[in-house]
Amino acid sequence: MTLADARLGGTFTVGTLELDMVTMRRLEALGLTKGTKIKLLNRNRSGSVIIMVRGSRLALGRKIAEAIRMREVL
Amino acid sequence: MKEDLQIGFVGNPNCGKTTLFNAYTGANLKVANWPGVTVEKKEGAFKYHDRCFRLVDLPGIYSLTSYTMEEKLTREYILNSNVDVIINIVDASGLERNLYLTLQLIELGIPVVVALNMMDIVKERGIKINLHRLSEMLGVPVIPVSARKKTGLDALMHTVAHYRDEEIASNLKHHHGDMKQEEGHRHKRHKEYPVVYSDLIENKIDIISDMLRAKYGRLEHMRWYAIKHLEMDAEVQAKYPIDLSKVLKQSHEEDIINQKYDFIEEIIEEVLANKSSKAASTDKVDKILTNRYLGLPIFLGIMAVIFFLTFQIGDMIKGVFEGGLEIFSSKVLILLNALHAGEFITSLVVDGIIAGVGGILTFLPNIFILFLALAFLEDSGYMARVAYVMEGIMGKVGLSGRAFIPMLLGFGCTVPAIMASRSLKNIEDRRRTILITPFMSCSARLPIYVLFSQMFFGKNAMLAAFSMYLIGILVAIIVAFIINKNSKKEGDTNLLIELPEYKAPNMHTIFIYVWGKVEDYLTKAGTTIFAASVVVWFVLNFGPNGMVKDMSQSFGAIIGKAIAPLLAPAGLGMWQVAVALISGIAAKEVVVSSFSVLFHVNNINTAAGMASLTEALAGAGFGALNAYSLMVFCLLYIPCAATIGVIRRETGSVKWTAFTIFFQLAVAWLVSVLIFQIGSLFLAG
Repeated sequence: MTLADARLGGTFTVGTLELDMVTMRRLEALGLTKGTKIKLLNRNRSGSVIIMVRGSRLALGRKIAEAIRMREVL
Repeated sequence: MKEDLQIGFVGNPNCGKTTLFNAYTGANLKVANWPGVTVEKKEGAFKYHDRCFRLVDLPGIYSLTSYTMEEKLTREYILNSNVDVIINIVDASGLERNLYLTLQLIELGIPVVVALNMMDIVKERGIKINLHRLSEMLGVPVIPVSARKKTGLDALMHTVAHYRDEEIASNLKHHHGDMKQEEGHRHKRHKEYPVVYSDLIENKIDIISDMLRAKYGRLEHMRWYAIKHLEMDAEVQAKYPIDLSKVLKQSHEEDIINQKYDFIEEIIEEVLANKSSKAASTDKVDKILTNRYLGLPIFLGIMAVIFFLTFQIGDMIKGVFEGGLEIFSSKVLILLNALHAGEFITSLVVDGIIAGVGGILTFLPNIFILFLALAFLEDSGYMARVAYVMEGIMGKVGLSGRAFIPMLLGFGCTVPAIMASRSLKNIEDRRRTILITPFMSCSARLPIYVLFSQMFFGKNAMLAAFSMYLIGILVAIIVAFIINKNSKKEGDTNLLIELPEYKAPNMHTIFIYVWGKVEDYLTKAGTTIFAASVVVWFVLNFGPNGMVKDMSQSFGAIIGKAIAPLLAPAGLGMWQVAVALISGIAAKEVVVSSFSVLFHVNNINTAAGMASLTEALAGAGFGALNAYSLMVFCLLYIPCAATIGVIRRETGSVKWTAFTIFFQLAVAWLVSVLIFQIGSLFLAG
């Protein structure tokens, strides 16, 4: 699944990012690397999300959310 | 006297760099609680014992790559100017993410001292950080500070002063827990560098270092340049080109990032206790403020309250200022008469300067309240949420929600708002934002609305003024929409912003912020508005035949009459209005000053002043609809001189700046003509 269709409130492990290089590197610098655990805190009607990653909150637009593949940690 | 010490402040956005910088230098640089406030480097100095410490506050960055403007600026500064020590400000409440930059800074090879900021917040949450162990694992001194409470400041500078005495490298101690220990580099290197990569990467670093040494001799930051080559960093490749076709098949950037974060996880594991405790309050507030249904209405509600307070409370305190001005004005008149000052001087001082500048000063309460509200908004942490809440609407017009931050700042002053657009990563996005930000109604336009809405709209004055803000936003969004429809280049609609934790606004920060704005306003009144008032007075009191009794014979009238016909379709075809609008390019408040000078109104912001102006205007057939059209025109037309300057600087293009001026003039004309013509139809019917 991707971050765009993940369950609100769930915790997930980041898989691959399918984004342009610059955005991908910026996300990685923010700690969103493969295998990182993230928590999905919020999603608004336009599909933007708020996630918790390595202790800080990030707001990401829909296009970025759609490009982050991950699986749920149960 | 010992030599000066050059110290760079580097850290993540919103980690408290500027607060710390202000604490040392006594500077009052703007601080706010959203990432990206500092977009330029700022320098300051102070004496520490017998040495001069030169501090440089650099824009916040997450990484030493060169993907964003802030990163490029900070990186260039560190590499090219002789920084003796880097103070890396680390937000202790976000240790894990902040350490990523720390590791990169250490890798550079310049002495680093870590200032662990926000320790007070960390303590409140019951989190424990093992400072001794953290320092050991990083191999650099770690000093706990609180920039806001000004604790630990002396200890930090003491450490910085003695940075050379420290045998830093030998302090490195690593265990790696029960991790599999590879043969080869791993432990040999750990005496020198905190981050040691996998053998594959370390081997390549060695090879590339040798190649660099062979070609360029001994470089400072050798290891760092080698690592950057491994990441295929474009700037480093251009600066020190070497042929790596045999060594590198692809960029190792991802591995390098991952291995740094692996090491950070080790650090966190060892130094942090009680990780997950009371961080939840921000999430609770966010549940409401960023709620998918409530988020937008709440934001609009907050803005409505801000404007309500600006007009209502501002009006309540303005009486004091008016009384003061009246007394001052009459005292000056008495003084001038006593001095037997000629008609010329008396007219210049009373009709020109006091009418022009004094009138503007009476709007200070409104300005004060507006900036006070904006300061609360910025310091609370809500600002970054606005980007998230507005992402949907902004996305529809081809902009990222992040572009709304400059727009929102534009309600205060367009100049810093345009500077704030630097935090947008995409150049196309920036240009569009710069084009539409001046449509957001800034505080300088406030006096125009206050004056004309009260003169012509009676009970509905506030509604008329509030509608200006809505028209401004609407025009901005429509313009963005049209550009997006007609542009082949794609805007960046990918929102990516860190949301800081909410905090109770800091009174000191807010005081500095608001006081700075009040000072700006007073300075502007004393310089730009003063000069413009004098010029306007001259232009209106002198004609081709010297000083004139009747203004309609003056130079101003000649110019105004030439332009007035163009403004006639908007109901602004009076030569006086044309003169006021031209003068408003100096600063928008000058429109009001010019009206004072034009119609000999000494205290324009009072009931009596307004009544006499209304009467004079009504005599010329200038009614409520004309007034509304004038307000709209002032909202949208050419930005003030300072804004034009900043657009020129930020876009680096005279052509683009000229286009912006022309474009906004055209939009202003079009919208006010539409309003006047349609309004006239209704009034006639």
